[in-house]
Formats: sequence, structure tokens, C-alpha cells
Amino acid sequence: MYPKQIHDYLHQFFNENNCEVIERHENYLQVQLTIEMDKKIMNRPFYWRYVESVNETPRPAQLTLITDIQQLKNGVKGEVVHMGSPRLHQLFQATKEMGLFVKMFEQLSANQDSQRVLTPWLCVNYKVSYHCHQTKEVLYSLGINLMTGAVFQEFNEMMDARFLADKPPEQVYQLPYIITPMRALARLDAVIDRIVDEQDQTWAEEAKKKWRKDQAVLDYFYEGQENKADSYEVEKQAIAERFKPKITIDIVNGGLFYLQ
Amino acid sequence: MLIERRSDWKEGFVDRLENSAPWDSWTLYKMSYDITKSNLITDFSGLQSLKYLPHIKPLDHQLEAAQRVIEEMNGKAILADEVGLGKTIEAGLILKEYLIRGLVKKALILVPASLANQWVEELHYKFHIPAMLYRKNYELDYVDVVVMSLDTAKRSPHKEKIDAQEYDLIIVDEAHKLKNHKTISYQFVQNLKKKFCLLLTATPIQNDVFELFYLVTLLKQGHLGNYENFSAVFSARKRDAEQDEYLKELVGQVMVRNKRSDTGIEWTNRRVQVIPIEFTEEERKIYQSVSALKDISPVFSDAFSVITLQREMCSSQLATLGTLQKLSGECMKPEEIDYVADIIQQLEKPAIHSKAQKAANLILKANDKVILFTEYRATQNYLHEYFYSQGISSVIFNGKLSKNSREWVKHLFKQQAQVLIATESGAEGINLQFCHHVINYDLPWNPMKLEQRIGRVHRLGQTQDVHIYNLAIKETIEDHMLHVLQDKIGVFEKVVGDLDDILTTAGKEGQHVSEANPRLSPSILQ
Repeated sequence: MYPKQIHDYLHQFFNENNCEVIERHENYLQVQLTIEMDKKIMNRPFYWRYVESVNETPRPAQLTLITDIQQLKNGVKGEVVHMGSPRLHQLFQATKEMGLFVKMFEQLSANQDSQRVLTPWLCVNYKVSYHCHQTKEVLYSLGINLMTGAVFQEFNEMMDARFLADKPPEQVYQLPYIITPMRALARLDAVIDRIVDEQDQTWAEEAKKKWRKDQAVLDYFYEGQENKADSYEVEKQAIAERFKPKITIDIVNGGLFYLQ
Repeated sequence: MLIERRSDWKEGFVDRLENSAPWDSWTLYKMSYDITKSNLITDFSGLQSLKYLPHIKPLDHQLEAAQRVIEEMNGKAILADEVGLGKTIEAGLILKEYLIRGLVKKALILVPASLANQWVEELHYKFHIPAMLYRKNYELDYVDVVVMSLDTAKRSPHKEKIDAQEYDLIIVDEAHKLKNHKTISYQFVQNLKKKFCLLLTATPIQNDVFELFYLVTLLKQGHLGNYENFSAVFSARKRDAEQDEYLKELVGQVMVRNKRSDTGIEWTNRRVQVIPIEFTEEERKIYQSVSALKDISPVFSDAFSVITLQREMCSSQLATLGTLQKLSGECMKPEEIDYVADIIQQLEKPAIHSKAQKAANLILKANDKVILFTEYRATQNYLHEYFYSQGISSVIFNGKLSKNSREWVKHLFKQQAQVLIATESGAEGINLQFCHHVINYDLPWNPMKLEQRIGRVHRLGQTQDVHIYNLAIKETIEDHMLHVLQDKIGVFEKVVGDLDDILTTAGKEGQHVSEANPRLSPSILQ
């Protein structure tokens, strides 16, 4: 992410969480946190316990977040926020926790009188991580039609072109689902398993080859020793941890979508 | 293959379906997706850490080193760049990369006590890694990246606390301290589980090729074979060039070594000279009497005590006096006692040591900040007083100083005093780029100590040529030491790689000290 992207992200994040942006400059941002956001990101539980127990007027913090370090030289005081800064990491985490589940409806323009029917879909965004002595991650956005069972990839990207809201438009008919969301989720889990299974496995083969080689070197070192020292087992374990191929599948977020 | 599913998403989703919890905001949902997408680690190779560290600009050789360690050496390496090239930066980059990729959750960083704070600060400010300095009574369960002094770590109860943790990455700074496989430190590190491991040292060989064997074995057991095979092939006496080449290649598979000259950075020059000094007649007599001690009394019959006295006599009367007085108590026979008493009497006569005089000349001529290294504390005091009498201001720096005093003395040196009189242990890890003259008042046995000393001054950030003066007294043990040093440099260069000038600038042209008298090297004749 570039400074500009970070800046836009911050603005959007605080806006969405009802934190008033007091000053917005190209390279920095001053925001008034809400009580809720202060509790979430300022990490001062004792203050809040105190305020609540003596009934004092709460004063949630103001933050000045600088996205371009040049501003520091211009006398603006505040926190420098960049990729890798603990603050941004924390806001990312907060975003993640607050954007896990949605239920969205496609909005139809008023003059569309034919086909005022919305079909239910389940979308799940999976992050697949491949680990050995190195790592790689791939994001899959899968959507399944709860009427027909048809599965689409890059579902999330397809939503960009549509106008969605969290309330259904007036006078439309929402089809009831034939496949229940929980069964659909099980199907998508199976789909992601198959996708993972079909991927190129060279990385795992390479890792196993290195594993065998390092193990052979270790065995050679202890060759002919009847009772191997403890360090043999320790090292053997370390080699296994280093090279053992493993795949993890995480769900980033997902939800129900009613689409035309 | 092992597939792990991690998600409590399902339960949360059920709650929403049953209307027992509210749905989330569409905007935050999309933001979360976009962040995940843009922070994705899309490739097995390459450094991800750089986009998280926009405020540091690692040098090319540092980036290459980090990448090579991760991609070719699978995270097990000896980082052996020359002093001052930023091994800490390389280690930080590697640690950061593994943390971002999730391959390392917990890391243990073992360092000399004097460098612990510096490590914590660098990791915080340069790498945003929340490293903690270990203190007694710390619970290690909640600390992911911990910096600990090796001397503390190897002892109970700390050792047991470390064993109870699962560390993914072990970093050992100044790893040449592990050259002796019989030490507790070595055995402690040997028994740690090393999924990933970095050993940092500018000087992987200090005395002989076996130190390298043990260091590599510590990192990767069996890489250089077992001890029997190794010593059969590489024992010092019967090595040949082909085997050296082979060993160099093997070592190269687990070691990164950048030299100043191949960093592409303009380095200031090192001007190294051996300064020969003649004893005065009185000094020579004392030296000879001291040398003869081994035939006079059994107290001095082991080679070590006479060598110590000889070296001390090459340094200052005061240093010699201290040791001699200690040993004289053990003499029994009257003629021994008389002989020793006679030497002591001569040593107590006020006299200016020829070497101190030469050093003072050099300092006055330099007319600039000078760091002077001696092996003896008594010499430190003697020089301090002598320099004072010559109108030269100096401060003393040694391992006895507390952390605060060290900072204070460093400050005094920078602001006021002309000379910093240091011992080896005192100067470890300090950076003095504002100084351009190094006097090695006493020579060590180990050339890497010289390299470490010079490295205090000749490092990134030095803007001027650095002058190094190696003082040696003619026709004494120091002559012999020069030869030993040169031989050791030879071993290092054969199996590790070239060294920057340590002993003399002229030595580079393939001259050997034993063939060409270093005192006649052109840089001195000028």
C-alpha cells in the first residue's frame, strides 16, 4: 500500500465508524474518536473503568495520523502511519473483526418493472496459505447459488459492478433458498479443497527433497553411534519443522447476497 | 499432505442466520477483503518485508544477503560480513521476513550483555519488531521476540525457562565466542532446537580451521562431516590448495561474507603500518632478565608466565611489576628471591617506556582523535598519567565501567579528550566513526581482535582515511607475534576469503612477513 492508499483507507475507516474527521489534509488526518473506537484501539482500559465508575464525562481521544513523513518537518505533530507500523496493523485487525459477515441486497432501478426477483447466494472468501521453509498465500472468493448450486470464482470482484445495500429494495420478491446456507458452506469447503488439491505440488516435493537431504547429512554425522546424543533428536525435529509442507485454509469473511 | 482449517467464522455465521447477532457493515467487509488482498504474500520467494519498512533503505549487499539466507540456505546461516557492514540489519531483515510470513512466531536473540540494549532499540526503531530485553523473573510465555545475554541464558534458571519455550529462530551475535566446543556456551547453543538459526560474526576463524568446523557444526551438524573425517582431511599440517578450495565451497553454502570492497560503496582507505621500536639499554636488560627467569626458578618454568611477563615488558614497567610482584611471593629459595627483587627494583625506577614515548609522538603528529588499544589495565593507568605529563588529554575505557559510565566516557572522548585508552573488552560494539587513528599499542595473538578493533572506527559512516599503527618492539616476543598473526591471516584467507588490511598495507601484494620484513614496507619508509 502506498501512502495515498493508506490515507484513503484511514479516512474511510474512521468515516465508517462515525469518528469525525476534524481536519483532512492531503498527507495527514485529524480525527475525533468515538467512545467505542477509543476503547477498541487506544488500549487504556483503566481510564475507561475510572470514567465509568466515577461517572465522569468521557473524553475519547483525538488522533493525528500522518501518512507522509514530510509533514513532520512542517511542524505537524502526530503518529506516522505506514505499512508495518503497529497502529496500521491494529486498524487492519479492527477492520477484519468488524467486517466478517454481511447480508446484502442488490438495488433495482425504479423503472425496471419486469423480473423484480432476487436470487440468494452464499459468498465465502478463503485465504489459502502454503507453508514449508517458505510461504505463499492465495485468496479465493467463491459464490454459490442457493437455488441451483452453481459455483462461481472471483465472486467478490463481480460485486464491484453492482449496487448493493443492506436493505432489500421495495416491492421485490426474495426467492427462498433451496440449498441451506450451512449446506452451501459445506459445498464451498469441498470446492476449495478440490482447488487446493489441483494446484501444482512442486513446492512440496522440493521441500521434501531438502528435508531428506538435511536428514541424510545429520544421520551421517551420527553414523555408527549406538546411543545418539539428545542433540540428534532435537536437530531431527528442527529439520522436520523447517521443511514439512503444510496448507492452511482460513475464511476471511463472507455472507448472503440477494442478486438479480 | 497436512491441511489445516482455521475458522470460527462458521459459528458466527450461524448466529447471524438465526438473527441473534447483527450483520456487519458492507464497507468494512469490502475494506477487509481489499486489505487481505493487498497484503497477500503472493510468492514463495522475494522479500515481503521491504514494503513494511519504507523508512529504511538497506544496502544492496544487505538485501542480497537476506534473500540468499532465506532462499538458498533455508534460514540457517553464518552471517560473516566484515565488521561495520551491517550484519544486524541483515539479521533484522531476515527476522522481519519470517515474522511477516508467519514462519517464525518466537525468536531468541543471544548477544553479549553490552550489546543487548542496542539490539532492542534497532529492532524497535528500524524494524518495528517489539523485542523485549530479558530480565530476571520474566515469563517468556508472553514475549515473542526476546533479547538475552548469552552469559545469562546459559545458566540456571534461565536455561530451563528457555528450554520450556518453542523458539523458531535463534540468533547469536558475536558468535565467534562459540569457537570452543568444550565451553558451556557452545553446549548450550548446541542443544537448542534450531529450526532457523543465524550466527553473526565478522571473524569466523580466529586461530585455526577447527573453530570454523565447530561453528558450522553448531549450525548444521554433519555439514563438514564428523570430527574424525574433518581432521583427517583438513588438519593444519597437510592441507593442500585443492582441499582448501573444496572446504571454501562447503563453507560458502552456509556462510554469507561481504567484504567492504565488494559492497559497491566508496570506502575510505586503511593505512596500516607496523611501527618498529627499539628498547633502551635499561629496558633491554630488564627484558633479558625477565626472559631468563624460567631457568632461575620453578615458579616461572611454565612457558606461559614468562611469555606474559615478556609481553608486559613490551607494554609498560607497571604492567610487568604487577605480575612479577604477584609471582614473587611464590619464590622459596633466597637466590630466586634476590634475583626477582633485583628486577622489581629496576622496574620501580622512574623511566619512560620507549613505546609510550613513540605512542605520544604519533598522537602529537596525528593532531587528531586517537583510539589506543592495550591489553593491560596497568598500562592504561600508566599511559593516562604519562600522556597527561605530555599535555595530551586522555580517557580510560574498559570492561569494568558500568553502562552509564561507558556512555559518559564515550561522550568525553567525543567532546574533549584527544585519546581514548581502551582495552579489548571495553570497546566491544562501540562505534566511533568520528575518530581516524587507531594505535595498537599491544598486539593480540589473534588477528581477528585487530580486525574488531579497527572496525570500531573503519565502518559505515567513516568519512576519512583511517590510520592504523601497530606498535612492535624489535627483537622481542612481539616480533614472533607478528609472524603468528600473519600465519593466522593466511589460514583465514585460504578457507574464508580475503581480509582487509590488518597488519600492514603492503602485505597485500602477497608478501609474507617472514619473507619480507614488515618494517621495511613502503608505507613506513615514506
